[in-house]
Amino acid sequence: MTTLPAQEQRLQRPPAEVRHAEELAALRAADTDPRPPGWQLSLRAARRFVIGDQEAGIGRKFVGDTALVERALVTLATNRGLMLVGEPGTAKSLLSELIAAAVSGDSTLVVQGGAATTEDHIKYSWNYALLVSEGPSERSLVPAPMLKGMAEGRLVRFEEITRCPLEVQDSLLSLLSERVVAVPELEGPRGMVFARQGFNVIATANTRDRGVNEMSAALKRRFNFETVFPITDLDTEIALVEAEATALLRRSGVTLAPDRDVLEVLVTTFRELRSGAAHEGGGDRLSAVMSTAEAVSVAHAVGVRGWFLRAEPGDAADVVTCLAGTAAKDSPEDLARLRRYLEQRVAGRRGAQWKALHAARHLLAG
Amino acid sequence: MTVTYLGVRHHSPACARLVARTIAELRPAHVLVEGPADLNGRLDELLLGHELPVAVFSHYRDAERAATSWTPLCDYSPEWIALTHGRAAGADVRFIDLPAWHPAFEGRANRYADAEARYADATARLCRRFGVDSVDALWDRMVEADPDAADLTARLDAYFDVVRGDTEADAPDRAREEYMASWVRAARAATGDRPILVVTGGFHRPAIRRLAERPPAPGPAAGGGAVPGDRAAPAEAPASAAGAAPTDGPAPALGPVAAQRLADGEPAPPADGPVPGERPTPATAPVPAQRPADGGRHAWPEVPAAPEDALAGSFLVPYSFRQLDAFAGYESGMPSPAYHQWLWEDDREAAGDRLVRSVVGRLRERGHPVSTASLVAARTSALALAALRGHPGPTRLDLLDGLAGALVTEALDEPLPWTRRGPLRPGTHPAVVAMVAACGGERVGRLHPDTPVPPLVHDVTTRLAALGLDTGEPVTIRLTEPSGLERSRVLHRLRVLGVPGHERVSGPSHGTDPVVEERWEPRRPAGREAALIEAGSFGASLDEAAVVALGDRATAAGSDCGRLAEVLFDTVACGATELTGDLVARLRSGLAAAARPGPLGTALATALGLWRHDRVYGVARDPLLGGVVDTAVSRVLWLVEGAGGATAPAGPDRERLGALAAVRDAYLHAGALLTVPRGAAVDVFRRVSRDPLAPPDLRGAAFGLCRVLAPEHPPAGHGTRAPRAGRPAPGTEDAAVAVRDVGEPRALGDWLAGLFAVAREELGATSAEPGPLVAALDDLVTAMTETDFLVALPSLRDAFAYFPPAEREQIAARLIARRGLRGSSRALLRTTADPMLIARARELEDHVSRTLDRFGLGAAR
Repeated sequence: MTTLPAQEQRLQRPPAEVRHAEELAALRAADTDPRPPGWQLSLRAARRFVIGDQEAGIGRKFVGDTALVERALVTLATNRGLMLVGEPGTAKSLLSELIAAAVSGDSTLVVQGGAATTEDHIKYSWNYALLVSEGPSERSLVPAPMLKGMAEGRLVRFEEITRCPLEVQDSLLSLLSERVVAVPELEGPRGMVFARQGFNVIATANTRDRGVNEMSAALKRRFNFETVFPITDLDTEIALVEAEATALLRRSGVTLAPDRDVLEVLVTTFRELRSGAAHEGGGDRLSAVMSTAEAVSVAHAVGVRGWFLRAEPGDAADVVTCLAGTAAKDSPEDLARLRRYLEQRVAGRRGAQWKALHAARHLLAG
Repeated sequence: MTVTYLGVRHHSPACARLVARTIAELRPAHVLVEGPADLNGRLDELLLGHELPVAVFSHYRDAERAATSWTPLCDYSPEWIALTHGRAAGADVRFIDLPAWHPAFEGRANRYADAEARYADATARLCRRFGVDSVDALWDRMVEADPDAADLTARLDAYFDVVRGDTEADAPDRAREEYMASWVRAARAATGDRPILVVTGGFHRPAIRRLAERPPAPGPAAGGGAVPGDRAAPAEAPASAAGAAPTDGPAPALGPVAAQRLADGEPAPPADGPVPGERPTPATAPVPAQRPADGGRHAWPEVPAAPEDALAGSFLVPYSFRQLDAFAGYESGMPSPAYHQWLWEDDREAAGDRLVRSVVGRLRERGHPVSTASLVAARTSALALAALRGHPGPTRLDLLDGLAGALVTEALDEPLPWTRRGPLRPGTHPAVVAMVAACGGERVGRLHPDTPVPPLVHDVTTRLAALGLDTGEPVTIRLTEPSGLERSRVLHRLRVLGVPGHERVSGPSHGTDPVVEERWEPRRPAGREAALIEAGSFGASLDEAAVVALGDRATAAGSDCGRLAEVLFDTVACGATELTGDLVARLRSGLAAAARPGPLGTALATALGLWRHDRVYGVARDPLLGGVVDTAVSRVLWLVEGAGGATAPAGPDRERLGALAAVRDAYLHAGALLTVPRGAAVDVFRRVSRDPLAPPDLRGAAFGLCRVLAPEHPPAGHGTRAPRAGRPAPGTEDAAVAVRDVGEPRALGDWLAGLFAVAREELGATSAEPGPLVAALDDLVTAMTETDFLVALPSLRDAFAYFPPAEREQIAARLIARRGLRGSSRALLRTTADPMLIARARELEDHVSRTLDRFGLGAAR
């Protein structure tokens, strides 16, 4: 783990380029491959930054298909927008942050999409005090992330793009095809901001919310779509949940590492409820989001309960208690499915923790 | 005496090129190829001039085990190249692996699956190390991307050494490696100093090399031991290590003199090409061991022979790219055969162009727009991906990734199929499906007309011609005519063997269907030839093969009554009932393990119906059906006695009641068939009818069955009077008593439903006078509270549904008479509104009056 300067250690979550500053510097120093114009790293170095390289001491930061990362980088290098879609909690935003940190050395140019997003949040707005006193000038202009990214030749991240109103989304159209923003208030050449090399957009969208179908075909055409899937391999997922939960627990002041067997039970439960398949065959899929990120947060909560209530690592009973809040957020059907899963599927499993999970099934509220 | 060990990946064009190059450079005396050694006598059959892909289809069947497997060969198979180029270069070409029927291949349908897929740890490590997602991506990067690389052999060896690494192969693989190594040793002993080429799966190469180079074990036959490998293999008994007992002992080892002569470089003994004594098409006989033609003087390893009592054989079948592409998991090999065919015929650039053209053609054909701009984007991405991944030009995965990026403009429901192993999953994006299909191709192989085929093929051809069924015209068959029945049976037998060609579009759908005409329409005969040859593994004649196939299905169906009933119907339709003894046993053992009486009853009713009434299929009074009836009846009796669930009456279980009605019919009409005597059955029902823990519908039915099957012994213990004209039939009075004992209102309807389901006529409910049962019911219902009545109503309605409207009208008439009223009984049965709506209205009224009562506001009622 990189040691952070004292001030940044107090940050809840420093950006990727700060968290991994040393790795980025090392990669940049050793990078001999050609770089696309405007990029801080070559494609290969950027790939190594994201998926790791044991020999060079670069940690793996994104657990998923390598080919996906490669396609994403190639998309950005070929000047098409990159759209990352997928279920919530599949690390889309993390991937976009990592790529932005690798490509531009800066992952902070972010537009957060939402119902209240307007064109001002994308292009620019004004400092009205200065506007009134000086009239429109570069000093009174307040550039939004897109304008900044274009002017400086950096990657801009657009989170949850499908949550924006359609007309706001469409303001990206000319920007992505013409690669220029007109600021009609400013006169002369300053009235046109042309995108410098290195500018591109990584958008993320969530298939559970309003799907990408709501996007206009014109905008879709300007993006290459990459679907990010939940982790396919059980062991990889357990390892990831273990690492992330341990880190979170340490930050919450819990010194005990989570129990590996409990984690395995937890992750397996999440996977089976997510896919609706158990190895005995047949099952129900929950409508709630059963992502790896949710599994991490449940593992975190389990650890916190165990430590602060009983000074021991969390056990299967804690898992059941915490599952109710995650898996069955507001849907009685999900709660019923979860109960049936605990009653019927878990009943036949071997292993102490599975038995404990089954024994604790009555703790499920409702 | 140099041996070159070439480790290849099956179906890899790069490896095929390497094999061709190596043969051209080495001019080997012997080419030893991983493949079924029992085919060595029949290599000419392989080289007749087929259109590839073809496969060697092998089958095996003995008392315990049945297995089929394929050894697929296509134009770019390294094994095929070794075979053809080796022959062309004048080398002795031999297959050196165990026969497909050998237990070492148990559970494997594809001989040329990637062995390393079974040992995934090492490949997973390699993938991580190289930063790729799958073995195929790794392979593309290392081998196919640059097939002419000078260091290809070194790369392959390094790759397979790492994959094999410290992995301990499992026993079957060890047995095969041991056996293949014994051939290498024999070849060394036979060749002198001319080169030998060994072409095997790369995973086996390190082990075979190690085993073959091992110094000979000390022993009397070692001949001084000066030359490694001068002792021939059989003494080291690989076959016994593999668990197969050759029919005769190991061939005698070479004597010291012979060994010395060979070691001195004397010419090899003649190759044992086609063996004169060998039977040419051993479909019905065990594969004979390949015996040395010259009386055991030279010493190729013994080919293990299938046990005497087993049926084993191998035939060539046409194969298709689609089949080659379809294997998944442990059975998988190289995917995308069409692309690799292009790669073999052309270079990488051209193959890539053909891939893109084929994908675009396919998509445009299906109306999926592909713009020029997307193609430019796809091309750019593919080139950039190739550069990023360090390929000299775009490979298959670069192209597919590029196309997917450019052509898919929405979220995917399933991951891109080429990032992981396994078949296409449902929900895969249509554009992606088209891409995979384009890479897979549709090429189908064709056998040379002179290829030997199993006897079944001849049998089917003659019979179809004799019956006039080979014209390709639709056929309409009247089953009531003897010739029609014969034709129908032949077509049905082909159907159960899974041979395409004719499809039945109409005809009787179950045993007692009153339809007597069948219509069959010709269908595209794609795969018909292969299916027929493969069906040859079931038997030599159509009759025999159909029976064996049905038996397999009966075994596979286990205790699933629905599937067993289908097998039963197919058996009848095939006219196979008189042909079989084993099938009866399998059907019966399946039925005897059925878990639910309902489906069992359906099968029983069908079998009984056919046994009693069939005029079409000629199976009335057939012993097969008799056996099925007997087994089913015994099983239903067993299940009925164990049924519980009295506490939760959930309405009558009509299927189960149907099963009991079928049992009643069996005792009434086919009593002689049944092993459980009628008295014992009546005892069962008597116990059930009195068991308070049995479900009420079952109790009612059991009561009724006692009445029907043993009218002289009433179950409730009351005396009965002999039936007289004008009197209620016997039992109605007992029923009237019994119905009062049923207890809670919810159970009443269920109990009656059970009773009526099996004994409606016997209870004389239709006679003119008001019977005691109707009277008792009237009293019971009148005495019910409003709530109780509402609870009992649904199941009571269900119970009376067993009566046809005319009988219900008679009951209503008697009820009116009993109450001393006048009126139309018909009007009583007709309501103006939905009865359930009325019930709900009454429930509401009841609720209102109870609420009023609670507050002391109730009107006098």
